Amino acid sequence: MNTGAQASRGTASHEVLSPWADVDPVPLRGITPRPKDLAGKKIGLFSNGKRAAALTLTAVETRLKEQVPSVETSWYTSTKINTPEILTEGKARFEVWVRGVDAVVLSVAD
Amino acid sequence: MLANEGFVTDGRSASSNKGMPVVRIVPQTVPCECSVKEDAEAGIGQVMAQILDALASPLTAEEASPKKKESEPLSRIVFKGDLGEFNRFFYKRGWGDGLPLLPPTEEAVREMLTGTDLPSDHVVGKIEPRYGKATVEKIAVNAVMAGALPTYMPILIACVEAVTEQLAQLGAYGTSTGSWTPFWIINGAVRNDVRVNCSSGSMSPGDIANAAIGRAMGLIIKNLGGARKAVEDMGVYGNPGKYSSVIGENEENSPWEPLHVEHGLARDESAVTLFFPNCYSQIWQYGSDDRGILNTFIYNLQPGRGGLSCLIMTPHHAKTLAGKGWTKPMIRKFVSEFGRVVAYRHPSSHQGGGWTIKRPETVPPSGMDTVAIIPNPDLIKILVAGGPGAFLGLACGSGMVGADFVTKKIRLPANWSKLVAKYRNLVPAYEKY
Repeated sequence: MNTGAQASRGTASHEVLSPWADVDPVPLRGITPRPKDLAGKKIGLFSNGKRAAALTLTAVETRLKEQVPSVETSWYTSTKINTPEILTEGKARFEVWVRGVDAVVLSVAD
Repeated sequence: MLANEGFVTDGRSASSNKGMPVVRIVPQTVPCECSVKEDAEAGIGQVMAQILDALASPLTAEEASPKKKESEPLSRIVFKGDLGEFNRFFYKRGWGDGLPLLPPTEEAVREMLTGTDLPSDHVVGKIEPRYGKATVEKIAVNAVMAGALPTYMPILIACVEAVTEQLAQLGAYGTSTGSWTPFWIINGAVRNDVRVNCSSGSMSPGDIANAAIGRAMGLIIKNLGGARKAVEDMGVYGNPGKYSSVIGENEENSPWEPLHVEHGLARDESAVTLFFPNCYSQIWQYGSDDRGILNTFIYNLQPGRGGLSCLIMTPHHAKTLAGKGWTKPMIRKFVSEFGRVVAYRHPSSHQGGGWTIKRPETVPPSGMDTVAIIPNPDLIKILVAGGPGAFLGLACGSGMVGADFVTKKIRLPANWSKLVAKYRNLVPAYEKY
């Protein structure tokens, strides 16, 4: 096969175009300030719904409460696997939940 | 963020692509998809001090207000050299698929762009996970690299439209440990115009259209979407189907309406349909009558798949079924209803099987009851393709919530008939012996 698009080959020199895509700039955001200590604070435990997430977060919760007995925890499990929560019907519930906690441990497991 | 140690770069990349490059990630050694409580507790015990630190230590200046990382600017012309030098440069940059590439020179890209009326800077979509802009020119560049012909451009543009549709779930399938592969089905007159093989050996190497369309889309997804192997694309074993999985429907020999008509397009329109299976089996028929054909499908569904599946059958099989009164909706309903497994063999019955989010309809009252493998018949599609023979095909996808087959119309340029005439004479003429 030898089309015009494929005619130039061999030892000839080729100036080639980039196959890599441009991206629109994404505004950068920092992470939220941390509590100075965890005593009396409410820690969110966000499970992405995969099978290891609940187990690992349960282990985190147990040890957290052992080490900081006054800490509270609040769980949230994603509405759909592999879908950002704000793109699901759980968006409003998630936004209320996340505003009600002092920090979040997210388990993406796998 | 808690992540298995093998997924730290993936987690960092995902958060960066969403504008948060400084998320605190605690790597842990809990086995992937862990189902053993003791293993989870042991893995978390090792990193609990880091978790507490991540929760309560003050932010650094960078964490509070991250600065944009200056990346090397890329000019439109990225390299000059001979064929070997060009291939080595692209390979080192991760812009290839391991096979030799053709150089996307200005001349070659210009010729490729004759396959569309769209302006070269038109953005067809943004491809996950990097949300790279798939301009018509970038599609053409990757098409040249893959050995595509200009007549494939309308198909590739429709493929990009399909892969950027949320329902296709490229962001999940394209990076998943499951190594799901884009499976492209082409319908309409365009199949014959560009010689997409719909018959014997459609999925084997040897046909430019079947090979180069799939290969071009592999490069487009990789280079425009930016899914790097073992960084964002976490496929455990990978999938040879990612080189190319393209098949045309053998509409002329099918007794039923073609797939794109089922999906709302007119019979005289052309279309591409996409879904993401991760395996493709070919199964010898249990019998050549209608029951034998259908039993082959229902007894070979894999427990736990539960989702998008494509039953592939030859025109002969399809005519046998249609002759006995079977329609596509009847077949879907039959396979959904009778493709069952004893519940104790279904992954949802096991501690480590299924997901935290379980679908109620998959939970039977007793382990000895049977359960449907694909409870929703709408997730099953039927494709008539392939050459003579007794094998049936089964492309198995997943039950991912919110994913579906996506069909996009192929829009042809005004000069289509001239283009077809220019490139259509590329036909293999096997040596006689």
